[in-house]
Amino acid sequence: MAGNVNHDYHILEPDIWPLIGSLSAVTFTSGLVLNMHPDTFGTSGSIVMWAGLAGLIATFFMWFKNIVTEAEQGDHTPVVQLHMRYGMILFIASEVMFFVGWFWSFFDFALFPAPLSVTDAGTAAQATANAFLTDNTASGGDLVPQGMEVLDAFSLPLLNTLILLCSGTTVTWAHHALIHGDRDGLKQGLIATIALGVLFSGIQAYEYSIAPFNFGQNTYSSAFYMATGFHGFHVLIGTIFLAVCLFRVYKGHFTPRQHFGFEAAAWYWHFVDVVWLFLFVAIYVWGGWGAPVH
Amino acid sequence: MATTAEGFDTHTEDHAHDHADHKPGFFKRWFMSTNHKDIGTLYLIFAIIAGIVGGAMSGVMRLELAEPGIQYLAGAVEFFGGNPSENANLHMWNVFITAHGLIMVFFMVMPAMIGGFGNWFVPLMIGAPDMAFPRMNNVSFWLTVAGFISLCFSLFVPGTGPDALGAGVGWTVYAPLSTTGNPGPAVDFAIFSLHLAGAGSILGATNFITTIFNMRAPGMTLHKMPLFVWSVLVTAFLLLLALPVLAAAITMLLTDRNFQTTFFDPAGGGDPVLYQHLFWFFGHPEVYIMILPGFGMISQIVATFSRKPVFGYLGMAYAMVAIGVVGFIVWAHHMYTVGLDVNTKMYFTAATMVIAVPTGVKIFSWIATMWGGSMEFKSPMVWAMGFIFLFTVGGVTGVVLANGGIDDNLHDTYYVVAHFHYVLSMGAVFSLFAGFYYWFPKMSGRMHSEFLSHLHFWGFFIGVNVIFFPQHFLGMNGMPRRIPDYPEAFAYWNEISSYGYMIMALSMIVFFVNLAYAFTIGKKAAANPWGEGATTLEWTLSSPPPFHQFETLPVIEDHHDYHDHRPASA
Amino acid sequence: MGLKSKASLGTFMMGHIHTRLKFGFMALFAAMLAVAIPHTAFAQETVGSEVPATAAPDEVPAGETEAPEAVGAYTPLEPVEGKGMPTAATDDIWKSMTFQDQYTEDGIYALNMHDYILMPVITAISIFVLGLLLWVVVRYNRRANPEPSRTTHNTLIEVIWTIVPALILVVIAVPSITLLARQYETPPEEAITIKATGYQWYWGYTYPDHGEVEIISNMLSDADAIANGEPAKLAVDNRMVVPAGVPLRIQTTAADVIHAFAVPSLWFKMDAVPGRLNEKLLTIKEPGLYYGQCSELCGARHGYMPIAVEALPMEEFEAWVLEQGGSLPGAEPAAEEAVEDTAEPAPAA
Ligand code: HEA
Ligand code: HEA
Ligand code: CUA
Ligand SMILES: [Cu+2]
Repeated sequence: MAGNVNHDYHILEPDIWPLIGSLSAVTFTSGLVLNMHPDTFGTSGSIVMWAGLAGLIATFFMWFKNIVTEAEQGDHTPVVQLHMRYGMILFIASEVMFFVGWFWSFFDFALFPAPLSVTDAGTAAQATANAFLTDNTASGGDLVPQGMEVLDAFSLPLLNTLILLCSGTTVTWAHHALIHGDRDGLKQGLIATIALGVLFSGIQAYEYSIAPFNFGQNTYSSAFYMATGFHGFHVLIGTIFLAVCLFRVYKGHFTPRQHFGFEAAAWYWHFVDVVWLFLFVAIYVWGGWGAPVH
Repeated sequence: MATTAEGFDTHTEDHAHDHADHKPGFFKRWFMSTNHKDIGTLYLIFAIIAGIVGGAMSGVMRLELAEPGIQYLAGAVEFFGGNPSENANLHMWNVFITAHGLIMVFFMVMPAMIGGFGNWFVPLMIGAPDMAFPRMNNVSFWLTVAGFISLCFSLFVPGTGPDALGAGVGWTVYAPLSTTGNPGPAVDFAIFSLHLAGAGSILGATNFITTIFNMRAPGMTLHKMPLFVWSVLVTAFLLLLALPVLAAAITMLLTDRNFQTTFFDPAGGGDPVLYQHLFWFFGHPEVYIMILPGFGMISQIVATFSRKPVFGYLGMAYAMVAIGVVGFIVWAHHMYTVGLDVNTKMYFTAATMVIAVPTGVKIFSWIATMWGGSMEFKSPMVWAMGFIFLFTVGGVTGVVLANGGIDDNLHDTYYVVAHFHYVLSMGAVFSLFAGFYYWFPKMSGRMHSEFLSHLHFWGFFIGVNVIFFPQHFLGMNGMPRRIPDYPEAFAYWNEISSYGYMIMALSMIVFFVNLAYAFTIGKKAAANPWGEGATTLEWTLSSPPPFHQFETLPVIEDHHDYHDHRPASA
Repeated sequence: MGLKSKASLGTFMMGHIHTRLKFGFMALFAAMLAVAIPHTAFAQETVGSEVPATAAPDEVPAGETEAPEAVGAYTPLEPVEGKGMPTAATDDIWKSMTFQDQYTEDGIYALNMHDYILMPVITAISIFVLGLLLWVVVRYNRRANPEPSRTTHNTLIEVIWTIVPALILVVIAVPSITLLARQYETPPEEAITIKATGYQWYWGYTYPDHGEVEIISNMLSDADAIANGEPAKLAVDNRMVVPAGVPLRIQTTAADVIHAFAVPSLWFKMDAVPGRLNEKLLTIKEPGLYYGQCSELCGARHGYMPIAVEALPMEEFEAWVLEQGGSLPGAEPAAEEAVEDTAEPAPAA
């Protein structure tokens, strides 16, 4: 702004997108609620939801577009870049805690299956009310109930593990290429990473479609779908993030010395990768151990 | 000492920049803001509105509880567009306590302390021109508003049935009451309200941490930072690490409700107690989120009005860090009666009590700051002293509750209600008013009336004590919380408690009169209205500060041994 | 209690509520004393007291509340003012300000721990802090002390105010942990099982050892309660009837949402969680009627699902069981009457 500013911080002009984004967010969530209760609200929900989503997407688009513009016009001094590093690390830390929540429930189910110490179900009235207390097959005992089929960890999930690990190396390849001014290597590495990401998502989607259990069935399926689903969502975001970087590379953005946008995408990608490793080991391999595979 | 900048020589070009004061037009300024002070102001206004709403709700609650029987709930049902019936009326009670708890916690205390005072004074105190991410700062605020809107929606849509509106689940939103027990959309709106406000807070937390780590003026080392900044730093870490777990937990609620998952549904092998673990893993750090910035403000104020640097600065800073760390490993003290095994209860009993030690360090260091001081009892100081005493009372009843075997009786009784209002409605709220009176001249450029502030203080002090002290008796005598109607034996103390509300409410009128006074005929505030004790950087700027401050960064030079601030010769 | 070695102290400590409370307040000024002395008393108590606690069904004073009309017949107990229920301030202001009198050993231990350790300690701390504040107000205001000192450090005092609170906490922790251990004793083999199930919004009690007797317990309307001479909002149509003086294995669960089975005068509170079965030992010292309320938010009528535990001498309990169509354990259902008095397993010795 005006005057003799003698510091390197980035003082921003007023901006409308925070307001639009927030209102879109509450519109979107309200639309979701309306959709979830068609009995009460009829079919009005979809339009609200889509309107909110559109506003959100517009906000994200404009927001990041503005950041890119600002970066290109030199607003991102070294100290501002440092801010962004901190911001990204802290954001990822909060994401880690989000996944801690999902792993917490998974391990709770795995290590402390529903306590069914009851020996006696009381009267008939209670027996029906508490059917689960006596019915050991419906719950309890094992994480994966008797007879339930799970996905074979060492088939597609293992393949996906390899795909993600591989994508971790390609994104590093791209980074090194960028640092050494090798624009072609950068493009190739990024394209390979994005392709692997898309491949991963495709395989994941295919696997969901053939999975022998449904979304809401028991704790294993709940934990499985929510944890892997949120991971999948993060893969999607990460892929888009990388795609934006690729787009920017073609526009000539990034220099060997200033390319935090790319680095942030790479960090995020590694984070997604690490979460997958935990998912793979805990939920697919350990969680499904011994259960019949599909 | 370093809680004050005394002993630093600040080289700042002060408020002489006219050009720094070009403010954008009304809409741009208040709806598109990227200015930390304006956003802070927005947060404060929002928090005051939410405080009025939440406070009014508690007024209806105290009215209903003034005598046994159900008197006013049918009216409340009608007010929100429901259809009175016995169960709808009773359900309305649960809606009220839920909304009251959520509004006070998420939309009054947190926005006021962190969003309001944090935004205003963290950059000023560390000598920064603004926050690290000014645009994200604004989205944090508007997401809080969005969350509030969603919570308001929830009051007008079905909760347990088409006629019983609103989410009647308690601020803890325990499953399965919040899943199968309240099938209507109200709970979904409430859940999304927490998602939105939570997202805003997480973004705010990243912003504060980054600002504090990266934007300190030259010479402002971590160990010279004012304690308020320390308190916001610790709070921001608690937010960053605790809120995402809540987000996961309430997302599980959402999918259990709408998409047939069975996280908390025993019929599918799920476990309602799991929700409680996840909630309290967030919930306990949350209570420190609500009090730590208050601790920070009290430190500034006590030092200012004792004309003496804070006693035991490092101990004060690290006590907050300790409270923050230990706060993450005590959550199950809210769950002593769910059927934990005995070893778990013993662990949580011991771990919980540990927190009394660093908290005691804070209490005693404040007193030691006053000790030997030259105290002046201006409005912020009386609120701060009220805080120290009442928070101690609330804290020690917390230590009683910490004993798992004792809590077997007290859990979910009014003793708990008394405990947490002493630390919240007196602890947190007293620190808010202390901070408000302390910084109001700086923020507005106007002086409030000291007389009215003192009147407000005494009315509020007496009022809240009359409200909440008898609730200890009710709790010990066995009155459960979250009930709108009670056995005759509890009538007396409930009536007294409701009278207390009247006293408190009168004092709040004084507060608003005082505001009106300040903005109309209040004197102009000097850069530093509090005298030589006020030594942090915000007092080196004009009141109100220029729209953009510190365009040339202040340089903090420290000629002294910062550890104990003895003049070099002594 | 029956601990001869410390009978006098024990009696003193279990004195009437007024004495207890007033002592509590007086003890502010002698807080440290109160911390040290009863604490050691408790420590001994723990070692020896469980056994006598459950030892003697014959110790049960048969007629304390209500003389049984005829041995072996069930007559519902009349409530006794101030026993097993909250006290109105208009009846007894002191008693309305504190815990209900306790009718279990653990409850008495916990109550004593509160009255003689916690309450004095926290009052003393609060008053100490208040006193310091008042002192600095008087001594260090601007007029009395125009020149502020510059002291910002004093290692000794900082160490003291870290160590002393820690020590106080240790003093609290020892009886606290002991209390937890006592409360979590597993019920003996022969304990009588009673299962309390929370429903929206009433309680169901089943007696698996007694031929699956099932009681459904709803709140009485205010008018009915008052007509019965019982406190409104606490009285129920069918009480949870249990034998006094013998170990009970209380189990809780719920059918819909979480409830909590809570009886303040027995120092007993246990959540009733759907899909879980919680279990805890309860031994009620003497016959009586003990009221409680659901203590976990469970929906609209959460305030209207009271609990009434009616503890009876064994014979009357058994008579009640038979009246409900149940059977006595060990007895062939056909020969109930004959075995009545010998049927109960001997309590723990
Ligand atoms: C600002 C908010 C805040 C703060 C700071 C605290 C502080 C503490 N709280 Fe509180 N608490 C709540 C808000 C807060 N609490 C809320 C909202 C609930 C209810 C939630 C719900 O169920 O809805 C609750 C419930 C709650 C429970 C569960 C009760 C139940 O539901 O059965 C427990 C149990 O351990 C507890 C303990 C404590 C302890 C030990 C502290 C300690 O941090 C206190 C430490 C302070 C002191 C001890 C005083 C100063 C110290 C000294 C002067 C030194 C000397 C002291 C000693 C040696 C003791 N709290
Ligand atoms: C910060 C938190 C907070 C605050 C301030 C309050 C304030 C008050 N509360 Fe609240 N209360 C809760 C948090 C809070 N409460 C929670 C979490 C619950 C549990 C809910 C549940 O069971 O789920 C609860 C439950 C609760 C109950 C128990 C209900 C039940 O169990 O059935 C009662 C009953 O009397 C009550 C009463 C009051 C009263 C009379 C006040 C009065 O003190 C209100 C007076 C008004 C104010 C103090 C606001 C003034 C502030 C401003 C106007 C803003 C100022 C801003 C700046 C200066 C920037 N509350
Ligand atoms: Cu049942 Cu509350
Ligand atoms: Cu807590």
